[in-house]
Amino acid sequence: MRTTQTLAALATATLCAAIGTATAQQPIVMQWQTANLTEKQYEPVWKATIAEFEAANPGIKVEPVLVARKDHWTKFVAAALAKQAPCIVSVDVATAAYNGYLMPLDKFIQAESAEFRGAWSPDMLSAAKWKGKLYGLPIWGGTYAEIYNRDLVTKAGLDPANPPKTWAEYLAWSKKLTGNGVWATAVLGGKTDTTTRVLLTWIWSNGGEAFNADMTEATFAKNPKSLEAIKFYLGLAGKQGLAAPAPTTTNYLEQTNLFAQGKIATMRNAYWAVAKVNEDNPAMKGNTFVAPIPANVANAPTMSTMTASSISASCPHPEAAWKFIKFDADKKWSVERARVANWMPLRNDLANDPQVKADPMLAQFVQIGTRARSYPLPSPIWAEIAAGDIVDAVQRALLQPEKTEEIFRDLDARLTKKLRDV
Amino acid sequence: MRQWQRRRLVGYAFVGPVFLFLCAVVVFPLSHAFWISLHRTRGLATRFSGTDNYHRALTDEAFWHALGVSVQFTGACVALHMLIGLCLALLLNEIRFAKTALRVAFLTPWMVAPAVGATIWLWLLEPQFGVVNYLLGAIGVIDTPLAWLGTPKLAFMSVVAVDVWRGVPFVMLLILAGLQTIPRDQYEAASIDGAGPWQRFRYITLPNLRYLLVVASTLDIINTIRHYDIIGVMTAGGPAGATEVLPVLLYNTAFRGNRFGEAAAIGVLLLLIVLAFAIFHIRLTRPEHGSAP
Repeated sequence: MRTTQTLAALATATLCAAIGTATAQQPIVMQWQTANLTEKQYEPVWKATIAEFEAANPGIKVEPVLVARKDHWTKFVAAALAKQAPCIVSVDVATAAYNGYLMPLDKFIQAESAEFRGAWSPDMLSAAKWKGKLYGLPIWGGTYAEIYNRDLVTKAGLDPANPPKTWAEYLAWSKKLTGNGVWATAVLGGKTDTTTRVLLTWIWSNGGEAFNADMTEATFAKNPKSLEAIKFYLGLAGKQGLAAPAPTTTNYLEQTNLFAQGKIATMRNAYWAVAKVNEDNPAMKGNTFVAPIPANVANAPTMSTMTASSISASCPHPEAAWKFIKFDADKKWSVERARVANWMPLRNDLANDPQVKADPMLAQFVQIGTRARSYPLPSPIWAEIAAGDIVDAVQRALLQPEKTEEIFRDLDARLTKKLRDV
Repeated sequence: MRQWQRRRLVGYAFVGPVFLFLCAVVVFPLSHAFWISLHRTRGLATRFSGTDNYHRALTDEAFWHALGVSVQFTGACVALHMLIGLCLALLLNEIRFAKTALRVAFLTPWMVAPAVGATIWLWLLEPQFGVVNYLLGAIGVIDTPLAWLGTPKLAFMSVVAVDVWRGVPFVMLLILAGLQTIPRDQYEAASIDGAGPWQRFRYITLPNLRYLLVVASTLDIINTIRHYDIIGVMTAGGPAGATEVLPVLLYNTAFRGNRFGEAAAIGVLLLLIVLAFAIFHIRLTRPEHGSAP
């Protein structure tokens, strides 16, 4: 009997030890979800980032979550509600933090060296904050500028060295660039927030404002400069006939497709669009040039998007997640993203990096970005209104141009009510 | 234990697993959705709000607009499903050659996942590079490319067309099965009495199919009114809300607006609408109306 008991105890101890060893050897597995992992130009960079991170941290594995851009937010929200969200995510910080989907990162960043914390300007870090707490580490961005097809510009008898600086000049160029199955540009009215981004750049280039300073009131129609900009921009697709047809279905993908196929001569977008165009049509390499957005006021700001990496509230391994975010935010990967995928670095200490300076177009985007406002705008319902209400108003105005003012007055009322209801 | 009690227990034992399964996949999700609809939810923060979400939804112009679009969309799709499905079923029932091949060909759209089919059509209808505009231009039907999904009327017609492309095979299959149950001797007797093809269809085929057509249209209404995928992929409810049916509004409210309570309320209202249709049709098909086979 005693022998049997001893044997049973030994077997149990062995089993426990085996389970313990297996558990100890089990690596931490974290998921990483951003809207961009499916973009071809970024693939070599993220694959290399994961490989090097895992080699340097043998106990941690990073699983990329490949999801189409338009399903990115939905998938994240569904997972966050089930408390199963990927540990590392890049989402709209204000909206996600407001909804309780993210973990504050203050304790992690405060534990880092002063040199690390100083790599981002306070302005840049504040764009990743919600109610005073940091919810994301800025990783990359994109400054919106006007990108031109050099061949089409030259063929139209225009000088690429003197791109338009004002709306009047832009209009004159557009008229010359349109014809024979080619349009000057594309007006964006598709159901994504890129429509809103481009609209805001037009409003700001006329000295207008879409919202008041504390984001409690919408002023698309209330501000005469904003309304003038909206009418001018949407008019390019309407009576002017200078923009590609079907603007209500034109998103980033359609815009870059049209540009890559030489159907439009200019597009308002960030540096990454050039990489996408070159990927779609390698013959376009070297056939583009960039210029600041034509403006009606001096020193008009453009827009710089800020993409931050965050840790989801339900992440069971926040320390490991922070380790990866820190690794991904390193100078080396910031430069790689800029070099390979045309995503602009957001670290202060890279402005004079020789590799960044060696790319003249990137350097030009960086220069244009010195007068940029950050995007997304700081509202917890920004994701909803930027891809929803504002786009709906743009679509309505494109379909009924004579009612533009009325449509944007309605939008002002609707948005103001929503912003105050938060 | 008496024998009748034992028999009853055995019965419960057989029904029990199915009852539990139905509770898990039907009763619990529906109850949970109803429970959520009584709360104001902002992400992970939730508080009880009674019937506020219902009040909000029912006083929102967007809800009534989406309901109107849903009724138009469902009406157009179901009518076309039934009409085209009936014509195709009659054709397949009559022809004597390539019957199997044609059946498979007609069924193919139904076999394709809706989101995949919608994505294919999205590219076929693309204004600049799409095949549809290219073909119509090549045969001289259009001079300039049409923005199939870019204007309200065309976008509505396009999503209806794609839904019809996908939905007809199922209806066709049901009707074809019904046609094959009609006794041949009825047709033979009618022919001897001098009835022509139209009279045979009017007085033999249609009465025999009446019950099946009602059942098929009921199923089709219930299926179509809650369609999300085709419209979600092709237009996301645009342009300017022209194709925003209730399920798309529900999705946008939940995932774009992060207002899950309100979205759940819209879902419950949609369920009530579907139930109303179902009850209406069930009453129509009751045996006392003399339509049951």
